[in-house]
Amino acid sequence: MRLLFILGEIGSGLRRNLSMVISVVLVTFVSLTFVGAAGMLQMQINQMKGYWYDKVQVAVFLCNDGSTAVGCASGPATKEQQENLQAMLESPAVKQYINDFQFESQAEAYKHFKEQFSNSPIVDSVSEDQLPASFRINMKNPEKYQIISETFSSQPGVETVSDQRQVLERIFSWMNGASVAAVGVAAVMIFCAVLLITTTIRLSAFSRRRETGIMRLVGASKTVIQLPFILEGVIAAVVGAVLASVTLWLMAHFWLNGDLSRQFLNTPFISSTQVLVIAPVLIALGAGLAGISSLLTLRRYLKV
Amino acid sequence: MSGGVLRAMIRFENVTKVYEQNARPALDSVSLEINRGEFTFLVGASGSGKSTFLRLILKEDKASAGSVYVAGQNVANISSWRVPKLRRGIGVVFQDFRLLPQKNVFANVAFAMQVIGKSRSIIRETVPEVLKTVGLEGKERRMPHELSGGEQQRVAIARAVVNRPGILLADEPTGNLDPITSMGIMGVLDKINQNGTTVVMATHDDDIVNEMRRRVVELKNGKVIRDEAKALYTSMIPVVGESRRLRDASGEELDRAQGAQL
Repeated sequence: MRLLFILGEIGSGLRRNLSMVISVVLVTFVSLTFVGAAGMLQMQINQMKGYWYDKVQVAVFLCNDGSTAVGCASGPATKEQQENLQAMLESPAVKQYINDFQFESQAEAYKHFKEQFSNSPIVDSVSEDQLPASFRINMKNPEKYQIISETFSSQPGVETVSDQRQVLERIFSWMNGASVAAVGVAAVMIFCAVLLITTTIRLSAFSRRRETGIMRLVGASKTVIQLPFILEGVIAAVVGAVLASVTLWLMAHFWLNGDLSRQFLNTPFISSTQVLVIAPVLIALGAGLAGISSLLTLRRYLKV
Repeated sequence: MSGGVLRAMIRFENVTKVYEQNARPALDSVSLEINRGEFTFLVGASGSGKSTFLRLILKEDKASAGSVYVAGQNVANISSWRVPKLRRGIGVVFQDFRLLPQKNVFANVAFAMQVIGKSRSIIRETVPEVLKTVGLEGKERRMPHELSGGEQQRVAIARAVVNRPGILLADEPTGNLDPITSMGIMGVLDKINQNGTTVVMATHDDDIVNEMRRRVVELKNGKVIRDEAKALYTSMIPVVGESRRLRDASGEELDRAQGAQL
């Protein structure tokens, strides 16, 4: 009976305050979408780290005709220099840090380059001898890049030692920045949502002050009086959170796993099922925020 | 606890209520007992402390000093989450009825049972009974705006007593009603009192008090200046009563003289 009664009260509260309730739904929807997007970006970063860190290599580029580096003053790397480097890579001092390495000749480099930029006109303007030969090293621990760099960059015939990871780090730091920005926007929106919920509950309590006054007088418990208001806020926020989750899922499903994954074949995108992990967090967050802000509002504006 | 405390439904012990520091107390060291099943009129000018008296019984306010006992229990010792239980034992009726305009007569009365979790079958059984007691049988489906003031007040009374409280507090229940309708309401309150409910009614209506001849407690500036059984609105001693009424607006001096006389 009491449950039915409370449900009825919630229904009438939602109907009476429909426009406010809709605005609460929309604001929580937008704010939680940003929160979720930040979460998705973090998941994407982790996914890419896991995928790429196994594959990225440290490349020791050898001098070629066009090299301008100090170590290349004597012209393109000679056969001896190349063999010397290979010997160094096989020496125990270096070997302990690396899994394996391959030599990529200028011809191979050109082939890879053509594959990578097959759609780009740049291929036509590059010739084989413009590209450097290189040793491609797979590190046991990518963090130890510094050791390889120090060992090889001063060797004769070496133009430069580059860590592909640095390129990725730049992407990741950009993505991290984006997720921080998303969290920032989300924080502002959540603040708005809390204020809106507060106002909505206040209005709702005011428009029903007759009922609540009578409920108090006839001895209705605190729960029976307050619960409809709190649930009103919580329901609106949860609807917003569900909308946010659906939006994020649609984004993951149709955009990340659709368009983007077709464009960037080598990039591992998070799957739409992974996004579903975020949904309960968003719903709990929305419900929690709404519940707490309603409760605090009622403490001030609804005498029990 | 003595037997007197248990017999007393409402008991005030040196109760003082101060709303604002430095202002005159709304109630000034009031001691009073109202017994189970008694019908008591609370009379006095506006601001004499009648409403404060009622609010203290409901624990809407806290006494600044002294103790208020309701059904033998010191209300100061009732924790906030148990206040609803206290209020279930007390029905309240106001001058302005306070009905819910969008609910019909039946729903207005049923509301008081719904919110404390009574089952639908008990509600369906009890509400018509109570409506009959207050003389509204057959008007279950009417909306409040379709009723006369007297009928609306009967609905309010029905709502106040539907949960069978031991005490009924009425704050000027006839304040908005004409004399004949008022007498009808008094008949209802009397009937409820006959059924064993302790009734405390704050009023300005001298005709009613004189007609009913019940206990009268008169408050003035927060003090009890008269407490008489089977009394009239004004004191039994005509000259004193008359002079007091004429001098009500003037100073304290006269009150003190009067207190001595009483």
